[in-house]
Order: sequence, then C-alpha cells, then structure tokens
Amino acid sequence: MADTEVVESYPTNFETWIEEFNEWQTRIGFDPSWLGDYRFDIKFDWDTAGDEIEFGDFEGMPKWNRRMQIPQQNIMDAIITMVSVQGDTEFASVEQQNHLLDTAPTEYDKKSALRIMCEEQRHGWQMAYLLCTFFGEQGVREAAKLLERNAQEGTRILGSFNEPIDHWLDFFMFTHFIDRDGKYQLKMLSTSSFKPLAASMGPMLKEESFHLGTGANGLRRIVKQGVIPCALVQKYVNKWVSTGLDLFGTDDSTSAQWAYVYGIKGRYDERETAESADRDHLNEASRDLYFQELREEMGRISKARKEGEPELFIPSDKFRRGIGKYAGKNFTVDGEPFDGSDHEWEEYLATVLPTEEDEERLVNEYMKQEWIQYREWKGN
Amino acid sequence: MQHVALSIFDKELCLPFFDRLTELFHEHHHSEEQDPDGYESLLYRVYRPYKPEMLDMIDGWMGLEERSWRAETQREVLLSLYAIRYPDTLLIESLTDKARSDIRRLSAYLHFTHHTYSIWDDDTRKGLGKLGIDIPEMREADPFIYGAYVSSIELLKDVAPFTCFLEHDVPRQRLFQSALAAYGRES
Repeated sequence: MADTEVVESYPTNFETWIEEFNEWQTRIGFDPSWLGDYRFDIKFDWDTAGDEIEFGDFEGMPKWNRRMQIPQQNIMDAIITMVSVQGDTEFASVEQQNHLLDTAPTEYDKKSALRIMCEEQRHGWQMAYLLCTFFGEQGVREAAKLLERNAQEGTRILGSFNEPIDHWLDFFMFTHFIDRDGKYQLKMLSTSSFKPLAASMGPMLKEESFHLGTGANGLRRIVKQGVIPCALVQKYVNKWVSTGLDLFGTDDSTSAQWAYVYGIKGRYDERETAESADRDHLNEASRDLYFQELREEMGRISKARKEGEPELFIPSDKFRRGIGKYAGKNFTVDGEPFDGSDHEWEEYLATVLPTEEDEERLVNEYMKQEWIQYREWKGN
Repeated sequence: MQHVALSIFDKELCLPFFDRLTELFHEHHHSEEQDPDGYESLLYRVYRPYKPEMLDMIDGWMGLEERSWRAETQREVLLSLYAIRYPDTLLIESLTDKARSDIRRLSAYLHFTHHTYSIWDDDTRKGLGKLGIDIPEMREADPFIYGAYVSSIELLKDVAPFTCFLEHDVPRQRLFQSALAAYGRES
C-alpha cells in the first residue's frame, strides 16, 4: 500500500475514530459486552484547570482554549506529542492486561481489573477526542495511530507498555508502580497552559486513584496471605521499579525544559511548592518525588508480612536503569557498583530478578494455592 | 434525584471542605475511637454468605450493644442485605420495627456489605448541613431521609476535585463520610 493510501484511510473525525476504536477492541480480544452499562464519556473539570498560565515564559497570560490561540507551531507539536504519548499508554495497558480476566484470583479482582481497563480506555478515548477536536488533520492522524501501535507487537511508545504482563503478580506490580508514574504524568499535565488538556486531567486523576489503590492493596493482600514468599515478591519489585523510574525520561532533558517554558507540563507539585523550578533537572525532580513515594508505600505494604519474612524494600534508583546517568552501568539493588565480569553480573541478576524457575514456581505452585487474601466486591 | 440535587447545589460552599478533605478524613478515620485497623479488617471479614457473627463483628466495631433480636428479625435483615441494590433505600420500609429501630446499626450493616451505602452518623449529618445540604435528624431508619443522606454523599463524590481522592484501602463513601463527620464536629 502506498503512503498516500495509508493517509487517506485515516478517520476523518472523532465519530469515525470511534468506529476504529470498536474494531480495535475486537482485535485485541476485549469483548465490548464486558463494559456492561459503562459509557466512554468525555469528562472535563474546568474548575481545577485554571484560567491563567501558571508557569513558564507565558505565565500570567490566559490559558489557550483553542488551537488558534497557541502562539507557535512548535508548542502545538509539543502538546500533540504529550497527548499522543498519554493516549498511547492508556490503550497499551488494556492490550497488556485484558487476557488476565480469565485467571482472576477472586471476583473482586476481576471486577477491579475490568473497571481499570474500562477507565484506561476512557482515558485513551479522552485523549483521542482532544486530538481529533482541537488539532485538525494532524491530530486525527495521531489519534488513529493510538489504535495502530500494539503492546503485544512491542510497538507502543514507552518501554514499560510493551512489557508482557503474564500473571496477576505482574498486574499488581504494574498498577502499583507504572500507574503511579501515570498519576505523576497526569498531575504534571493538570496545570497545562492548554486548558482542554488541563481540564481533562481532573476526572482522569480521580479514576487513576482507584487503579493505584488496586495495585497497592493487591500487593498488601499477597504479602499478608504469606503464600508467595517475600523474597520472591522482592524480585518482582526489583523488576518493575527500574522501568517505572525510566518512564520519567532522561536527566537534563531539554524537551521537559521546553515543555515547562511553554507552560504545557509543570512539576508534580507545581501548585503546592513555593520553590522556583530548576528547569535543567525537571525530570529528576519528579522522579525523586516518585521514588520517595515508592519507599513510603513499600513500607506500608511490607508491614503486612508474616513473622519471619524479610522486609520488602525499593531497590536503589541506580539498579538496572535503561536511561539517565546510571544507564548501562552495573549497580546492585543496594546501589553499590558491581565490579564483577559480565558472567558474574548475569549470575547476580538471577538472584535479584525473577528467573524462569521463579516464574514456574509462582504460577504452578504458589498460585495454585489461596495466594491472595480473599475480598468480596461490594462496589466503591 | 442527583440531577435535581445538582441544580440547587452550592459548590462554592463546599470548596473549604474539599480543600481540607484528606486532612479531615485522617482526623476522623484514623482516630483511636474509630479503630481504623478494625475497620479495614471488616472490609475483608464480611462477605457472602452473611452470617450473624459478621453482624456481631460490625456491632463490635461500631461500639453498639448486643442485638436483642428474634431469629426472624435477624433472618429478615440478613436477607435484605442480599436484596438491596444501590440507590434503593425503600427496602428499609419493609423491615419490621425492631430492625428499623436503630439507623446507625442498620446503616453499618449496609455499608460493610455494600460500600455505596454510608454509615449514618450525626456529625456527618451536621457536616452536610454546613455544606448547605440539610438532612433531618433521625434515630429510627427512615428510607427517605437515609436515601437523601446517602445520595448527598454520592453527589459530593461526583463534584469533588481529584485532590480529594486518596488511593488507599478505604471505600470512597467512607472517605467522604469520615471527612464530613470531622467537619460537622467543628464549631
């Protein structure tokens, strides 16, 4: 197929995009009947979006409500990229997780996971709406791509969203660590100078809090039940933390700096902090807050462990990093430099990350028992 | 009902409450009197099939005296816990006088079996009053008053900004009901 034909096949507006979305659901194996009476509404919270640009070089000016108000093409491109990346993660997570519904440990977990998948789709739907409604043909093309990339094919934009989620322990790790990164990204966009984007974040953040709670409580219920040893749970913690840290982007990021200059993406605590921003290290600042939050949360999860079980901890932010100043270097989970050979490094990794044998034992031994504290679904 | 409520709802009056909601929640829910660990334990220990011992556990956490109910009354209440569906509260009207005699007890049973129903608490009622939502006092269960109480809390959930929503293991009705109770106690 020629390039021009591909472009011509793109949906022309949001209504046409919805038809593509319906086909996407079928393609990835998400049965629309699972939605029940759930509807993909477009939700805005204009009250929390703010009227004036809150930071950056346009601070104090009215927020932009329409494309024509955005002063420069490069700012518009940056907004489109932000919306596209956000939307990409939403659909990716459904592709990663929907196969788990058949193996849910309890009805409560099944319904929680289903609710999460419905809401993630709504978030993607909201991002597609912004692209189609506010950014003309360029936006429509990007909205179409949200449904073309695929987590199972490894073509989603961010690495964590191409990682397979093979079982429910990974699911809880994902919702605890990766959705928590999502919370940070949404909050950073909630102060955006592009008002429809800022106004989209409030309802999404409300829904996201349930996703994080599902992850944190799921891990706590696992630890409390005590069937899966904490030493094994720790290996999965080690696996997911580094990928969560990488999601914040590179150190000394210029794109984060420009996003701040344009006022389209703030700091996580933009409205709460009195300190002025260190524009050269914006990603690092958000990552540090995230890392600190992970430690506090892990302390809470670990408290539930049975007597004699080792305390769970968050590995060093130097361990197994894919980007940033520690990328490509070998550090232990305690943050100490690893001086051994490549072979010794691989041996070390097998002691701190899940191996094939660990996966085998987890799925075929521990998960055959009552491995998670029972809970009944009672609405929320 | 929610649509009607929204048309007369004073959001401005709620802003100071929303600003402090998480702090107010902690003040009430995490107080020694409220026994948050006991509350969390009940989230897991009350499940179908419902048994009288589960009602005993709820009574214990609520600090209520032992039920002096006949076996039929107990069976009637247990069956109603299966039958009721949010937002219905009219089912309460079909219960016998004894079962309806204490709304605190009945609302606690409803809450721990269906999180969308909130525990009745007079401080919470006063908190709603400070937000311009006047709910009459009540001791015996009145389905209409309790219905208004529950749907008012549900309404607040809908209009509250994202900053109000904690991610921890507390149903959202409990989050709002607890914060309202602390707010209602303030002079």
